[in-house]
Amino acid sequence: MNLPLMNRRSGDGKKRVTSSVAGSGTVDDRYEEGRLAQRQADKWLIAGALLIGANGVAGTLGLPLFLWGLKLQRDASKAGLTVRPIMVTLIGYLVIVDAGLNLQGWILDMVANHSLIYRVLYTAIGNVMDGGYFWHYNQLWIGGAAAPGEKGWEFACILVVFPMRIAAAIAFLQMKRWGQQWLLVTCWFGVVIWVGYVMNMTEYADVRYAHVVFPVLGWWIFDIMYITPFLAIPYLHTVNRDIFSE
Amino acid sequence: MNEQDRRKRRALMAFQIFIYGYLLLMFGIQLSMWATRNW
Repeated sequence: MNLPLMNRRSGDGKKRVTSSVAGSGTVDDRYEEGRLAQRQADKWLIAGALLIGANGVAGTLGLPLFLWGLKLQRDASKAGLTVRPIMVTLIGYLVIVDAGLNLQGWILDMVANHSLIYRVLYTAIGNVMDGGYFWHYNQLWIGGAAAPGEKGWEFACILVVFPMRIAAAIAFLQMKRWGQQWLLVTCWFGVVIWVGYVMNMTEYADVRYAHVVFPVLGWWIFDIMYITPFLAIPYLHTVNRDIFSE
Repeated sequence: MNEQDRRKRRALMAFQIFIYGYLLLMFGIQLSMWATRNW
C-alpha cells in the first residue's frame, strides 16, 4: 500500500499533517497502523475477488470473504485510520473481477478451443444462450467461436484492453495516479467495446439466437454485469486527484 | 467538488443515460426479432 497523504479525509487539505511537520513518532505510528489495517482488509478482499473470479460455486463462497474485507476496511476508516476510500476499493476490485472473468473465458476460446473440457462446456453454453459458441464451432481456419466478428473482439480485448485494465485497477487500488488515469482510459474502452459488441450481436442475431434454449434473455442476463463497470466514469473524472500519489 | 466538476459529472451522467438508452434499444430490437422469427 502506498497511501500518499495523511488525514486525506479532512477536506480542504489545510489541516493535513505530515510526519516531518509533526516531528514525532506518533503520526508515523498511526500511519503504520492504517497501512496494516488496509493490508489485513486486502487479504480478505483479494481472496474473495479471486474466488468470485473463479466462477460458479466458488463465486458464492467468495462474496462473504469480500464483504468481510470491506467491513474490516470500514471499521478501520471509522477508527480514524488512513485507509483507502471504499469507492476506490469497490471500483478497483469490480474491474479486476470483470476483466479477469472475460480474459479467462476468451483466452480459452482463443488457444484451448480443442481441449475436451472447452468443447463440452462452451458449446453447452452456446447451445443454451449464444449460438456464436455453437454454430460452426472449431470449423474455421482458426478454432473456437465462429460467429461473425467474435474473434476480432477477442483479440482486441485479450491483447490490449483486459491486461491494461487489470494493471490499471491494481495501481488504482494502490492509490497511484497512473492507475486512476489508465482506469479512466480503459473504462472508456469499455464503452467502445459494448457499443460495438452489442451492435455486432444484434446484426448477427439470426446466427446467435436461432435454435438456442434461451434466446435474447439468456444472453442479456449473463452479460448485464459486464456492462456495468463504465458506470464508474463520472466518479473517476471528478474524484479529488490529490488522493493519488505520483 | 467544485462547480466545474459538478457540471462535468452531470454531463457524464447524461452521456451514460444515452449509452444505456442505446443498449436498451438494441435489446428491444433483439426482442422484436425474437417475436417475429422462428428461433
